Amino acid sequence: MPNELMITMASENIAWQLEDFVDSLVIDLDKTRETLAVKAINKPLTYTVKELALDLNIFPSYDGDQVKFITAQPGQEGASKVTIQLGSITDQQVRATTKAPESKNDINLNEIDVDKTTMKQLRKLGVSSVDDLKQIEKKNVDLQKVSDNTIDYSKLANQIQKSRRSQTPPKVRAATLSLDENNLPYLSIRGDHLAVQRGFQPVAVVNRKLAEVLSSSEGEVRILLAEDHLRSGENEVILAVDPHALIKVNVKVQP
Amino acid sequence: MIDEAFIPFEQIIEQLLSFRDDMVDEESGMRLYISGCEIESPVELDVAWDENGVLQIGSTPPLYNVNTTFKPSFHKLRFVAQRTDDNNGK
Repeated sequence: MPNELMITMASENIAWQLEDFVDSLVIDLDKTRETLAVKAINKPLTYTVKELALDLNIFPSYDGDQVKFITAQPGQEGASKVTIQLGSITDQQVRATTKAPESKNDINLNEIDVDKTTMKQLRKLGVSSVDDLKQIEKKNVDLQKVSDNTIDYSKLANQIQKSRRSQTPPKVRAATLSLDENNLPYLSIRGDHLAVQRGFQPVAVVNRKLAEVLSSSEGEVRILLAEDHLRSGENEVILAVDPHALIKVNVKVQP
Repeated sequence: MIDEAFIPFEQIIEQLLSFRDDMVDEESGMRLYISGCEIESPVELDVAWDENGVLQIGSTPPLYNVNTTFKPSFHKLRFVAQRTDDNNGK
């Protein structure tokens, strides 16, 4: 019977990561502090927890990726002891030992489609956001070398650009036909965040025929039109302004 | 969810700190209070995920004072608390 009971109870205990446990512990202590502060309004004699330590009997396990713990259950022997000690910390210490919170424009690496190996390596290096990567770049650190070639930096940079682009997608506001100084017709596509990638020459296809892009900027792209490019009625214009943004516009030409 | 025999960790601390008010002896004009304490206690833990995926730490001092064929796993809780004179924790 005791064995049966032990088996039933063993299935109830769940594995957890140290990070989750400490997070919950800190949240619980914050709640205690808040409760005691409210209590202090009417009851002058109250207390503040200055230090807290918890000795845990646990069984660690490693699945090749993460270390997890399961708290020892009744009757289980041979558990490891882990002591978690939380001391009081001042706001100056917090500022000195923690990095600034992610800025509004920063991108967390969890939001980017990064493969598991790269993500694991980046975490090991303490990189969790695009801003972290920028800091490393500023110091001229070669991530590929540091990670024993496990991080494909060009692929990562590509994914970051893709993610950035999805935050500020191109917007077309108007398309007009005009003549340039040589009286050649061109199509002007105006909008926001159009050609934002420096060094990338946009590519235009009008009615399935390649067209020359005369100039491009964030606000306007000018496409040179040959005689056979446009026709009366609907005209399909496809514009690749960078590797991650494709614009498709239907231009109606009145007969 | 946490087993009903356990209470959230924050309540354990708060309840262990629920000392009585100042001890006053009006005849002798003495007033005593506890200015600080260090508490060390065995506790049982129940760690579970809630429906929002947040880890919940349930805790209780030893539940039964009887000999059983196998003993619960007692973890150890130790904390230092000091009397607070105002709402800012000073």
